[in-house]
Amino acid sequence: MPDTYMVPEVLAAIGRECSRSTSFPISTSDIRKWALAVYWPETPPQAFIDAEYAPEDFDPFAWGPAKYESLLPEDDGSVIYRHGINQKALGIPEWEFMVGVNGGMDCKYGVRMHAGDVITDVKSVGQWSERQGKTGLMLMTRVVSVWTNQRGEEVKRTINTGISY
Amino acid sequence: MTSVGDSIHPYVVTTTVENWNRFAAINDEFIPHSMDDQAAISEGFPSAFGMGNIQWAYLHNMLRTFAGVNGTIMKLEIQFRRPNTKGQTLTAQGKITAVTDGVISLDIWTQDQEGNQLAHGSAVVRPSTWVPA
Repeated sequence: MPDTYMVPEVLAAIGRECSRSTSFPISTSDIRKWALAVYWPETPPQAFIDAEYAPEDFDPFAWGPAKYESLLPEDDGSVIYRHGINQKALGIPEWEFMVGVNGGMDCKYGVRMHAGDVITDVKSVGQWSERQGKTGLMLMTRVVSVWTNQRGEEVKRTINTGISY
Repeated sequence: MTSVGDSIHPYVVTTTVENWNRFAAINDEFIPHSMDDQAAISEGFPSAFGMGNIQWAYLHNMLRTFAGVNGTIMKLEIQFRRPNTKGQTLTAQGKITAVTDGVISLDIWTQDQEGNQLAHGSAVVRPSTWVPA
């Protein structure tokens, strides 16, 4: 384990755009199944059964994008990074971690998602930080994800924090 | 009327692999530590534990009930503090911290049946039924 994760390669990566994904058109069935799962064992609101719009937490990239491209010259885009970023292509040292968990999310919502919408997700590198934990030095990785619909309207802007140790 | 300090209706769910398997199936999130006790134990956890994304969804469920079908969830942020382990009764809760022109800010959290917070954060919503005081 290094003394610090805040090495020059990590700090130089802040703000770099990493990938662009385009979803398949959202289907009414996608919306309905998502709502059934997140409300189970209760029944979801009728608006979701009728698929009037998607729950804010709905992820149209869940089972893969229609199109994915890496925005990093060092990455051929052959591996899809759905939640994270290609740290190797950013030149981040390949530290070996025992555990990777979801540290939290911070999301600002724009317009709702509806059946038929095609969502584009552009991911970039947010801030990094580190903290001493019970099991050693932990690395907090923040990925900024901006979703827009086919009209260019912002659907949501999320900062996902991953914790590795 | 909605006032600062009011608690909103909680969302309560007992969480097991039945919940997590359903969520894994719609979100393609088949993580061993949410499926298999041994995988979670090998990472230092007491049992399999649920995905952060499903707690995120439960908090949305709570806020949606509060805001109404035509209400708007404008902002939500949480930090995860403890794992949501198998068999816990998870309660998503919220308390109003500010009311401004129909926009309501809340402290939000999830907790287990013993009152231990699993996640904590804040939210901003615009309820569909808001009536000026």
